[in-house]
Amino acid sequence: MRPLGGFLLLAATVLLLRSTALSSLATRGLVVDALAFAIVVWSLRHGDLWGSSFGFFLGLVADVDAARWLGRHALALALLGYAVGRLSSTLVRESARTQFALLAIVTLVHQVWSSAFELGGGAAAAPWLLARALDATLITAAAGTLLLMTLRRALGRPLFGYAFGTASQD
Amino acid sequence: MVATYAALSVFLLVVGDHVPTSWMRASGAVLFAPFDRLVLTGDRLFAAWRENTDLHQRIAQLEWENQQLRIQGVENRQLREQLELPPWHGLPLHPVEVLALAGDPVPTSATLSAGQREGVHAGDALLTRDGLVGRVTESWPHLSRASLLTDPNQAIACEVESTGVNGILRVSLRPSPRLLLTAVPLADTIRIGQRVVTSDLSLRFPRAIPVGRVRHIAQEASGLMQEVEIEPAARLSRLRQAFTTPGPTPPDSTGLPRPHTEFEPRRVAPPPTAAPGAPHARGARGAHGARR
Repeated sequence: MRPLGGFLLLAATVLLLRSTALSSLATRGLVVDALAFAIVVWSLRHGDLWGSSFGFFLGLVADVDAARWLGRHALALALLGYAVGRLSSTLVRESARTQFALLAIVTLVHQVWSSAFELGGGAAAAPWLLARALDATLITAAAGTLLLMTLRRALGRPLFGYAFGTASQD
Repeated sequence: MVATYAALSVFLLVVGDHVPTSWMRASGAVLFAPFDRLVLTGDRLFAAWRENTDLHQRIAQLEWENQQLRIQGVENRQLREQLELPPWHGLPLHPVEVLALAGDPVPTSATLSAGQREGVHAGDALLTRDGLVGRVTESWPHLSRASLLTDPNQAIACEVESTGVNGILRVSLRPSPRLLLTAVPLADTIRIGQRVVTSDLSLRFPRAIPVGRVRHIAQEASGLMQEVEIEPAARLSRLRQAFTTPGPTPPDSTGLPRPHTEFEPRRVAPPPTAAPGAPHARGARGAHGARR
């Protein structure tokens, strides 16, 4: 029951931030992919089953909110949640480098996938969309890693636990 | 499980356009509205503090301009009476608050704090003191949703204020998001810096709402038309308060939808019978001729 509460709370927080503060930043060119960040965090903590479920639910709500291309975010985030969840048991989840890499990969894949729907049959916008996806990747990965490090310091304990009970070297 | 999610997502991608989702957005808007307000409070307090200084300066400037406009208004009324032109009607404005923005890769829609009970209906124009922002597309009892100028589905009939050159305003994502005035013949003269306003040919917006200024002029790829880049008048990155104003009037007796124009009398007398091929009674631009 506890993961379900966290599931709903994280989803609500991400959607709220996405439609308020982050959308204002996006109009100024600073794109933070809150959906990708939430998927990575949730999947690292709860594994592939919860990861794909969370990705699908969050993506579906984002699709309904966007009013176009229903299933666009849901498909990408469900698969990414599953992939990160599968990897979570083999990675050092508390490592900042691991988190940075995962955030960067998930954000890049999500941004490229969702931007592809905006091309509208022409490739002229591709350079701008790709540049935007790269910006979003760097910003989300850097800000996300920093946020997770700060949270770990503030809480004084690991956020995700250790894979196979091994200690983190980070 | 993940295969089920993937299959369901692909199914939704295929048939998603036929799934009614308006009620889901309405529920989401109602559910999130209090939290949106809460999150925005801090941001708006800071912005209000900064704006206060600017507004004081602006009030002083506007008071001086107002004095001049009063004199010109009296002169204008007298001239219109002499020319037997109908008087100007102002736009009724409903204030609304912008609660949230949505859309990728740039925000294309906004959730508004007022709905049908407050007099905001689908089809109303959304504007700020600077100019046009978009159009209300969905209206619920206490909330509504508007498409912004950045929505690729929007097409707005506009004209250059000083010359009356007509065009259609669209957003283009190539090579980066920008507003373009399209369908402008090469023969029409447009200069950088000229103001662009909504046209009286528009079926969806009242006439003369500022839209932006001409920023750059180029030829379309076909070489037959001009491609005019517009700098939006309203700052879409700072949407907090806005106004809605009713859209066009319902279809008239001819069955054709027709816009509300400010220069038009409330009730138009039937025009005198004219010979076939005679010019329209309201002038060369034919206010209700070919509509977009």
